[in-house]
Amino acid sequence: MNTQAIPPLAADAPVVLEMSNISKSFGAVTALVDVSIKLRQGEVLALVGDNGAGKSTLIKILSGFHQPDTGTIVSQGKEVRFASPRDARAQGIETVYQDLALIGDLSVFHNMFLGREYHKRVLGLNLLDNRKMREQAQVYLDTLGISIPSVNSTVDLLSGGQRQCIAVARSIYSSPKILVLDEPLAALGVRESAHVLGLIQNLRQQRQVSVILIVHNYNQIFEVCDRINFLHSGEIALDASTADTSEEELIRIVKSGLGRNAIDAAAAEVRSGPV
Amino acid sequence: MPPTAIQPAKKSALGVKVPHTTTERLLILLSRYREASIAVVAIVLVIYFQLGSDGGFLSPQFISVVLRDTGRLGLIAAAEVMLMITGEIDLSLSAIFSIAPYVMALLSVTWGVPLAVGAVIGVLIGILVGAINGIITVRFRVPSLITTVGTLFFLQGIVVSIYNSQPIVAPVEQPFNAIFGQSLYQPTDALLSWHGVTAFTPFLWAVLLVLVLALVLNRTTFGLHTIATGSNIIGAREIGVRTDRMKIYNFMIAGGFAAFAGIINTAQFTSADPQAGSPFLTLQAIAAAVIGGTSLLGGSGTVIGALIGAFVVASLNNGLVMIGAQATVSDIYLGAAIIAAMILSIQVDRLRTRRRV
Repeated sequence: MNTQAIPPLAADAPVVLEMSNISKSFGAVTALVDVSIKLRQGEVLALVGDNGAGKSTLIKILSGFHQPDTGTIVSQGKEVRFASPRDARAQGIETVYQDLALIGDLSVFHNMFLGREYHKRVLGLNLLDNRKMREQAQVYLDTLGISIPSVNSTVDLLSGGQRQCIAVARSIYSSPKILVLDEPLAALGVRESAHVLGLIQNLRQQRQVSVILIVHNYNQIFEVCDRINFLHSGEIALDASTADTSEEELIRIVKSGLGRNAIDAAAAEVRSGPV
Repeated sequence: MPPTAIQPAKKSALGVKVPHTTTERLLILLSRYREASIAVVAIVLVIYFQLGSDGGFLSPQFISVVLRDTGRLGLIAAAEVMLMITGEIDLSLSAIFSIAPYVMALLSVTWGVPLAVGAVIGVLIGILVGAINGIITVRFRVPSLITTVGTLFFLQGIVVSIYNSQPIVAPVEQPFNAIFGQSLYQPTDALLSWHGVTAFTPFLWAVLLVLVLALVLNRTTFGLHTIATGSNIIGAREIGVRTDRMKIYNFMIAGGFAAFAGIINTAQFTSADPQAGSPFLTLQAIAAAVIGGTSLLGGSGTVIGALIGAFVVASLNNGLVMIGAQATVSDIYLGAAIIAAMILSIQVDRLRTRRRV
């Protein structure tokens, strides 16, 4: 992977997504408080935070799985409301969930096309065009360099890495405008991680698709991301470009659970001595 | 778009195993062609009864009895399979089986409504009950086992109270009865005579409808989404499958099928018995579905297998009596067959995923 080849994000890249003042509670549990994030065309944004910080809730709101209590989502310049995952998909927002949302009992190619099946008319009946889906899936996985025993095998027979690759491939297939990946590297070995990171790097190079990436390995963030948002206790505690921060600073901020300003202020206080 | 820097991994590197042993080959066959394995059981059973009855089992007259039972059981079993694939079950089907033809016969004798019209109304009632079962299960999150036990008693109570549990003699109308249900094959009938053929129409209807259901399940988006709903409901929802609707629609299909099965049953007997469908009928249908290779775990199932399973159950019920066993003995075999089929089905699944064949 040649990181030198990645051009920096153009300064005038338009904003494609703006989630403003999003709050969400589940009964007595507050998941998000007044969270705002911004995503520009072709940008790869890392969303980091501890378990339970609200990352998954935020992206499930973006993907239409949950509905926010308050706050607005502006996509491509107009305000949108997603009542279901279908609505979000229709707006070009594809999500790969942590659980991958693959159907174990269905074949790889049926999974690839679930919810957007190809049909053919046979004697006036609208039947599945399995041959077309099989061929398209095979061709597409070959182009991405994803190797599986057969597109006919059911997903429950594949390894964790293979499943992850299928899920990512499925989300890229529809050429989305915004791609959301919730811990896409969680269950992967070194080789498979490199593969998925390669797919993301490839998207980043072309600057067509904007990506939101939830990931725990900070090393990988600096490899493939343009910007970092750190979510702590349901609030955004840091919003910085990867060029302006370092892995050490990020780890310090994540460990303290405080934003950059708070840490700087505390450091200044220590330097000036007790009042 | 293709990342040229990334080379496809070799297949051997990704844990692909080629099956070697005979056991593994057999397992693949069993898991791929579940219908075939139950068909073998059915054929063995037929040969056994044919020999045990000195050739009486395969006589047109006797086989018309077996196929009549197969038809009504197969329709309910196939509908139950669709629900079992979505991870639900419907125990109220026997009550729908009773109420739909009862309404048809009642409309006919009271207001002279033609049987065909009454039959359509009966099927619509079945679909409506299915919709109610589905909505209660999905919207109010009542487990379908409980919802449908409730509607079972509710409907059974209504149909019994209409006429004080009295059966109604249903009129015979042609061509309605020739198309949907005729008296059984008589020894005097020639095999290719009008009555010789129409005696089998209920079974032919069951075959036709089960084939349609198989087409829907295996070749349409509806079938794909039905499987997705039962296999991984959260994943299916995340990807945009309307899982609630899929469940409700399949409850409606089940209701419609049960109503239709009841109507052909009444057409044959020219009698609408409010207790025609005992809850035992639904349990036998579930037995047929399980014997046919559908597990209760959701996500997979075969409607053709259910029809063959219904044939096995109907053969057991009638064949054992024919070779001189007590009528009740068939239940012993049936019970053992259900448990054996379920154990086999789960073991095949487990071995299949473990060995990744």
